Amino acid sequence: MDLSQYAELFLAESREHLSACNQLLLEWERHPAAPEPVGGIFRAVHTVKGMAATMGYARVADLAHRMENLLDHLRRGAAGRRAGDDVLQLLFRATDALEKAIQLSAAGREREADVAGIIAELDRAVQRFAPDTTPRHAAAAPAVPAPTAEPPPAAGPGRRVRVTLRPEAPLKGPRALIVLKRAQGLGVVSQVQPSPAAIEADEFEGTFSFWLVGPTPADRVLASLKASGDVEAVEVEDEAAAAVRPELGAPAGAGGAGSGATPLESGKARHIRVDLRRLDTLMDQIGELVTVRGRLNDLAAERRDPAIDDLALQISRLSSDLQAEIIQARMTPVWQVFDRFPRLVRDLARELGKPVAFRVEGKEIELDRAILDELGDPLVHMLRNAVDHGIEPAAERRRAGKKPEGEIVLAALRERASVAISIADDGRGIDRARILAKAKADGLFDAHVDTLSDDQLLRVLARPGFTTAAAVTSISGRGVGIDVAMTRIRALGGTIDIRTEVGKGTTFVLRLPVTLAIVRALIAAVGRERYALPLTYVAETVEFGMVPMTTVEGREAMVLRDRVVPLVHLRQLLGVNGDQPPARRPVIVLEMGERRVGVIVDGMLGQQEIVVKSFDAPRGTLPVFSGATIMGDGVPALILDAGGLL
Amino acid sequence: MSHSVLVCDDAIFMRTMISDILAQAGFEIVGEAETGVQAVDKYKQLKPDLVTMDIVMPDMGGIDAVREITKFDPDAKILMCSAMGQQALVVEAIQAGAKDFVVKPFQPSRVLEAVQRVLG
Repeated sequence: MDLSQYAELFLAESREHLSACNQLLLEWERHPAAPEPVGGIFRAVHTVKGMAATMGYARVADLAHRMENLLDHLRRGAAGRRAGDDVLQLLFRATDALEKAIQLSAAGREREADVAGIIAELDRAVQRFAPDTTPRHAAAAPAVPAPTAEPPPAAGPGRRVRVTLRPEAPLKGPRALIVLKRAQGLGVVSQVQPSPAAIEADEFEGTFSFWLVGPTPADRVLASLKASGDVEAVEVEDEAAAAVRPELGAPAGAGGAGSGATPLESGKARHIRVDLRRLDTLMDQIGELVTVRGRLNDLAAERRDPAIDDLALQISRLSSDLQAEIIQARMTPVWQVFDRFPRLVRDLARELGKPVAFRVEGKEIELDRAILDELGDPLVHMLRNAVDHGIEPAAERRRAGKKPEGEIVLAALRERASVAISIADDGRGIDRARILAKAKADGLFDAHVDTLSDDQLLRVLARPGFTTAAAVTSISGRGVGIDVAMTRIRALGGTIDIRTEVGKGTTFVLRLPVTLAIVRALIAAVGRERYALPLTYVAETVEFGMVPMTTVEGREAMVLRDRVVPLVHLRQLLGVNGDQPPARRPVIVLEMGERRVGVIVDGMLGQQEIVVKSFDAPRGTLPVFSGATIMGDGVPALILDAGGLL
Repeated sequence: MSHSVLVCDDAIFMRTMISDILAQAGFEIVGEAETGVQAVDKYKQLKPDLVTMDIVMPDMGGIDAVREITKFDPDAKILMCSAMGQQALVVEAIQAGAKDFVVKPFQPSRVLEAVQRVLG
């Protein structure tokens, strides 16, 4: 049997179970007396064991088996005895080791998986929990009822039946039980040797005998029992000395493996797992379809032919549905990435000796798999920062009148066309004055600036290499993580906001598009080029010159419903010269969280769906483009990055 | 006529593999269950010729599911899927009414032999 086809399924499902293990271990750690977690962990480890054994990953299966042993003692034998911290830590480490062994095995490097050490530890722990190695099934009810318990089905000759199981048969006890049950269907069984208890406990050598009274002819007894599975030999000694035949080997089960049975219907699975690359390819193809559709729309508009119009409309609708379906197939709940964070925060908090309560909200919110996959690292950075630099040591918190346990909340929230992910700590907050002083010293701000807004603060923090040891000791290192995170998030078409208050805590909010591949965009003209602005960030459009103007910090701005919105002349920014701009020009107002900016363009050409192609900007390109797209007429256009313009 | 099978296991991996083995041998997989509760419900609904039952599942384990199913249909043909080291549980399952068992890791030939014995 070719197992390789199952390898990916094995890996994916094992990860889910490991994730469940980690979750449950954390829960158990918080509520040591709760009975549920240990049962769940046992099941998860057990499932991994079965799968690994099937894949032939002996080391993984062995490690899982030892974990299962310990968990089994914890959930039954040691009921009432709480798992001590040392046992929990051992289970945490064992889970890590299991994960590693699974990864190595799935990568074909099982031999590198070193599980001996952790297995020895697990075994020692089992010894501690069960110094008496009493088999746990000692109390099981006898499998074979006493002869008097059932009336004989019929009177008949009595005979001694001796059954020998195949030496390689697994679980000989249960197998013997099946033989005995079959025998009970043939007559009355008594005088089972060795004792039923010993048989059930597998404490026999594979041969057992019993006294069978019944009318069934000896040859039928023989045939029936031999067909019980894993039976090497059956001897029947009765008065008539019937057929004590030499072994011919159990008849191969009729229609057994490869017996020519024809596959009729395949299994009706309702879920399949698909390689993400397949979905990417599909997405690309749909992208091209969308591009062609755009061209058809243009053609239909040009020709004013109702037949083409009608077809264009139908194709539009069909491709939209197709798009929606494929995007839906790519959507993945954020828990698939978030689930590893409780463990991460816990480990870090432990390491730093800070008590931290960690909560996750909005786990079910969905994001494009491609975005979610990129999100893990930035979030790790930010959570590390929150634990390391945000949350104060317990003593400091007490002095500040806060509860000693710090709190970090990771929350996902669906907004209009984006998903907001916030990382909030209730720690010490960022000291703006110190950051400002450092920024001034670095020449980032004029001496007259006396306070930093949240935006300015973020910009300072996110400057690569801003943080130096001499700088802000209370938040040392924070800049590094933000720099990295910001780059990643921006590359995904997302943004980062910060809110921080000294003594109260810091919140970072990441806003991400729900999907990467296809976005609705406003197409604007500047000079002879077209530019696309993702609608996600377009708040409204107004006409330049129709709203009151003002200035902020020396920049041109407009006043829109009592709010000052800074303006960007795209012509100037992009260095378009030559022909004069039209007299009436639209201003596209982009909004991202609390921030707004008005972008002045030459004209608007309408909305359309665009397929985002990643874009390797040549050196020296303005950092305001997030990608490129091909317009309906086949001409490329650049996509403006709202984050960059803000 | 092909026999209908209900496959019960909490791991998609195991369900897929068992379904593949049986489907390739001409059985019709009429349903899958991930928990004991689902197994019982689906049994009542589908009345399959054969059930493959994992022992350890969330939300009612396989053994309790065997009890419930045999209460509903004393002739139910249930094949337990067990792992090494579960002899006590397999014994319990057999006492509860399971007809036979196979031990992981599964070899297709052994699974099919056991299935034939159960259906026999």
